[in-house]
Amino acid sequence: VEPSTGILLLSGAATGLVGAMLGLGGGVFLVPLLTLALGVPIRTAVAASLISVIATASASATVNLGRGFVNMRLGLALEVATSLGGLAGGIAASLLTRQQLFVTFGITLAVMGVIMAARSNKRNVLPDPDTDPGVLGGTLVEDGTRYVYRFKRLPVGLGASLLAGAISGLLGLGGGIVKVPVLSTFCGIPIRVAAGTSTFMIGVTAAASAFIYFSRGDVVLPLTAAIALGALPGSLLGAQLSDRVRARSLKILMAVVLLAVGARMALEGL
Amino acid sequence: VNETASPLDKTVEVVLTCGLAVSALLLVAGLFIGAHSLLQAGILLLMLTPLARVVVVTVGLFHEGDRLFGTVSLCILLVLVGSVIVATRL
Repeated sequence: VEPSTGILLLSGAATGLVGAMLGLGGGVFLVPLLTLALGVPIRTAVAASLISVIATASASATVNLGRGFVNMRLGLALEVATSLGGLAGGIAASLLTRQQLFVTFGITLAVMGVIMAARSNKRNVLPDPDTDPGVLGGTLVEDGTRYVYRFKRLPVGLGASLLAGAISGLLGLGGGIVKVPVLSTFCGIPIRVAAGTSTFMIGVTAAASAFIYFSRGDVVLPLTAAIALGALPGSLLGAQLSDRVRARSLKILMAVVLLAVGARMALEGL
Repeated sequence: VNETASPLDKTVEVVLTCGLAVSALLLVAGLFIGAHSLLQAGILLLMLTPLARVVVVTVGLFHEGDRLFGTVSLCILLVLVGSVIVATRL
């Protein structure tokens, strides 16, 4: 039974809202919602999610760009790795069974949840506003104060981005779920900039695999259209709201969601 | 009021907004009258929006004289074009 258009619009809106708040595309919530709650086959859900992720990421990027939360050069450097990973993941997706997809999804989320929870107290901004941010670092204005941050551990950032891209292509995510925690916990990027830069990148990552799903015929038109359409207003609102939530709360919210959804998805595949 | 948004940021914002607005119109119309061709056009346009964004950023960076990151952006564009080529051959 195909879910009604109203339910799909609402699903897109809800996942877009939470996704944009956390700097994700929302696919991480949408795929479990579609498969577990609405009974949509996982490949259809993954394809629909990729399209919806493009909508969410692009809409929240418009908000984050205006606020200066997007570090474009950092995004570009990492995007090379994510888009390659996205292309490879999109091609490889047909090689995995349904069970393997569910288990991979679940484990990925749970691991990121643990990392995020363990490091939620760490601040990434440097005390001295005159510090040189370097080529990939930057500045951030929050509550009228100017902060400087430096990018650390480029190989970790690039490796995580490649992995994020591959997971994205396999599982229908934008990869923000991997990038935001890694950038914020290991690479010295403040969570808001990590989230903003992530939204800037994930549209491209998702697009790299979306074309493959589209031509394979996995994109079910009315279903995908309704979800993507719902995701647009949801994510515009979510991106606006993200400004009012404290950085530490964002991290804890993300950790809880990751653990819960990850466990549920892994169970489904066992 | 923001000091950190550059002119290129603004251009990218406009490109993304236009892509999203037109595809949203196509999707609304397609769902309303049940036309698959409109839905298909809307989804394709949505998928092309990030591609257009990469084109704008690449041109913008070279225009700003930033050859290093312009080249980086060009590489991303090539991967996306590669993905379209792989997709059309499936």
